[in-house]
Amino acid sequence: MPPTAVNSGPTPIPPVKLDFLAGLLSYLIPGLGQIKQGRVAKGLVFFVALYALFFYGWNLGQRKNVFLIDARDGSSPLARFGNDLYHRPHFVGQFFIGIAAWPAIWQYINFDEKKDEGPALGRMMRAPSSDEINRLQREESKTWDLGWVYTVIAGVLNILVIYDAIAGPAFREVMVKDESTPSPKKETATI
Amino acid sequence: MSIYWHLPILIIVVSIVYSATRFDNWSMIFREAFRWGLRMSLFLFGIGFALYALSSLV
Repeated sequence: MPPTAVNSGPTPIPPVKLDFLAGLLSYLIPGLGQIKQGRVAKGLVFFVALYALFFYGWNLGQRKNVFLIDARDGSSPLARFGNDLYHRPHFVGQFFIGIAAWPAIWQYINFDEKKDEGPALGRMMRAPSSDEINRLQREESKTWDLGWVYTVIAGVLNILVIYDAIAGPAFREVMVKDESTPSPKKETATI
Repeated sequence: MSIYWHLPILIIVVSIVYSATRFDNWSMIFREAFRWGLRMSLFLFGIGFALYALSSLV
């Protein structure tokens, strides 16, 4: 449902025009939707900030904390996918960072436990073995866990960015012409 | 290195991104980001202090 603007003044604030294409672009690459809308500086801030947080977290975890485990549990592919997400719910948050998390999906789809690497991407975002996860948690002085928390927060923050691309900021400023003054004044509206 | 040294990037990014989704005006964004950064820092410092006090005194 489109958010409606509230204005106490005599001039009604125009309704928000939803931009789903910009939302999709901001999902794929944080800030890209804002750049498409002409809000370039804001888009670049989102891009730099969210990718910095995501890749900082990924590096903190030895680049082994963004993945989806194939637990091979479930009768149908859908049930299996649901079980795998249940075993690795972190990826639900990481997914929203967009293209940057897609290698994990590629590795999940092409996972073969008999091989050490996945096709095309090698070991990038491939699910580590349980022995390796145990080693990382034991020897990396909590940074592996801290790292995945950062990647999840980056993904979840991108949901706000996607919303901003679709419907604009939560508080909109519009130029309102006041009859008593010659120049239009700014008013902030809450959705 | 203590894991707490990794906190500033988290506080800065969360403050700026959240504030930038609230406003389009840069002065409002920076003002809101500063407020949120301060709130989060005080909250985390408070939690840290409480845990330190508990571990030291109890």
